Amino acid sequence: MVEQTRNILERLLSSDVKADLLVLFHKNPGLIDTMEGIGRRIGRMTSAVDAEIRDLVEMGLLKVKIIGAAQVYSLDKTRDKSILEEAAVHIKSIN
Amino acid sequence: MTRLKTGITEFDEMLRGGFLEGDAVMVAGAAGSGKTTLALQHLVNGATKYGQNGVYVTFEQLPDQIYRDAAGFGWDLKKLEEEGKFQLICTSPDLLVTKNGAEDLLGDTIRELNPRRLVVDSLSHLQMFVPESDVRREVYRLVMFLKTKGISSMLLWENPQILGNSYSITDVGLSFMVDAIVALRAVEIESSMRRALGILKMRGSDHDKHLREYEITPHGIRVDQPFSEYEGLMSGSPRRVASEKFVDMFRSVSDKKKHGVS
Repeated sequence: MVEQTRNILERLLSSDVKADLLVLFHKNPGLIDTMEGIGRRIGRMTSAVDAEIRDLVEMGLLKVKIIGAAQVYSLDKTRDKSILEEAAVHIKSIN
Repeated sequence: MTRLKTGITEFDEMLRGGFLEGDAVMVAGAAGSGKTTLALQHLVNGATKYGQNGVYVTFEQLPDQIYRDAAGFGWDLKKLEEEGKFQLICTSPDLLVTKNGAEDLLGDTIRELNPRRLVVDSLSHLQMFVPESDVRREVYRLVMFLKTKGISSMLLWENPQILGNSYSITDVGLSFMVDAIVALRAVEIESSMRRALGILKMRGSDHDKHLREYEITPHGIRVDQPFSEYEGLMSGSPRRVASEKFVDMFRSVSDKKKHGVS
């Protein structure tokens, strides 16, 4: 569990783009958009956010949905909350 | 007829009790006219005073400003979200108009929140992504989707004109698709900028035909008295009505006599 939480934290903090995405989704928890739209909102090209968004999906922080022919992404609020709680417990245990 | 109160007392009086339930309302005005404030006030009052949950759909690039701006008026949107009374959705306008876009985007929220009020901010953004010839069809589809769900909608339209001598609500012919139209505009009177609110249309209901002054206060929109002393406000060339001119002339003559000037 501790190892798993540490891995998640390391992945979350692994790049500036991911940090920007996390800030974006936390400030705008109702955001539902395509990869291109999300990239535009943080001033980046789709190619720059592609891998990072996929990683956040794999971690369960973002959900994917199909609208028309487009894949859209949104924050999984339940998973986000549990990750934040796990991270807080982990950080306290380090201290 | 069930009415949806906005919670802005004088405005509800103008609407003879509020908008009709299920209606699609267009709020048109230039940037800075208070469209977003009016729409948020309508949703926040709906959720907190009348037990009607609300959804705010925005196409803005940085919608977190909406939370901040609302907080400036004392409206805690995040708290309302936590209480399950409100939801802010931000997305790209083209998604809303793809096949089943409205259902796919809003369906979950509608099922979870059971909203009675929904705001789209704004149709003008939609126009940027949809060919002009398709805008009317897509807006019609969206309006009918919401009506079918029993949701009253408020659709914001940004009119590029702040001042001027003509006034058209939209140039893509959306006016006939909505049940009510509220116009917000700036007027210049005696070298000062004032704000005027008018109800241009309200299908199936009487409404106040006067243009009223309104202000954006720290607590939201406040609607004041009609501009009864002026005419020509919508044309952009306001002038005092004849009776007021007569009163002024009378006062002037009276003052001169009082001071012994012939």
